[in-house]
Amino acid sequence: MRATPPLRLHASAQVPPATRGEPQNRPPNEAATGQHVPALRPPAPPGRRESLLRGALSVLVLSVIWGGLTDWRIDALVFGVPAILLAAALPLLLSRGARWRLSPHGAIIFALWFAVQSVRGAVDVALRAFAPRMPLDPGFRSYALSLPEGAPRVMFINTITLLPGTLSADIIGDRVIIHMLDRRSDLDTALADLEARIRALFALPQDKEFHT
Amino acid sequence: MLELFAATLITLGTVFFIAGTVGLLRFPDIYCRLHALTKADGLGLALVAFGVAILAATPGAAFRIALIWFFIAVSSATCGHLIARHARLAEGGRHD
Repeated sequence: MRATPPLRLHASAQVPPATRGEPQNRPPNEAATGQHVPALRPPAPPGRRESLLRGALSVLVLSVIWGGLTDWRIDALVFGVPAILLAAALPLLLSRGARWRLSPHGAIIFALWFAVQSVRGAVDVALRAFAPRMPLDPGFRSYALSLPEGAPRVMFINTITLLPGTLSADIIGDRVIIHMLDRRSDLDTALADLEARIRALFALPQDKEFHT
Repeated sequence: MLELFAATLITLGTVFFIAGTVGLLRFPDIYCRLHALTKADGLGLALVAFGVAILAATPGAAFRIALIWFFIAVSSATCGHLIARHARLAEGGRHD
């Protein structure tokens, strides 16, 4: 099942960042081909306007959090303003590799779906814990990751742990090792579904072969 | 009425905390126990936090409770992963 219609059907339809104002987080292989044909896809430096926008957004989010924590007290701003500015400047010091953006529509659908799944996961494990005979058939399975490195992958691995019956236990290269409470449950379908939802959340192109 | 609703949520949350603890005690190995802790306790916390936020009644307090819930939810999934990973390393990855 696909969560939301993808914003772009084909990765090749992506416009170079210089004209879009917001660079895309591409799969590694695509980024590599981009380097081979510099004439088609120039290595555009991040636009000044876009950096400013991102900075302003971080300052806004951090200010709201600080304000909420301190009940909007004016005297607390003595610490708040330096802390907010320092925190907003941190991404400038870190590597620029991990660019990503959220699709607002995808985020809402993902949040609702995630809430339902985490309730299902908790009810499932609670019933198993209380059941006198404890229906468990635990074991490990592995799953090939196809999401790009960075935030989408981290989101995927953390969400697996809250889905019913699965726990992400390890990452070896491009495979994630998953511990299952019941090895008979259908892992591949559940994880392919989760992957499609995370692609929708981060506005990534969907896999072409995934059309259920 | 609102108090009753909040009390119901908090009670339900406690049931999930108890389920997590029962799982922790009864499940056979560290990985199954992590399932119980990350999932059941996570929902237990969400229900208790929601109930308390209703009782707290000020938007500032509700916001802080939501923040606490968010950070604990993220850290519990990450901690679960790290503990499982460490356990596998300690076992020499014999489950591959």
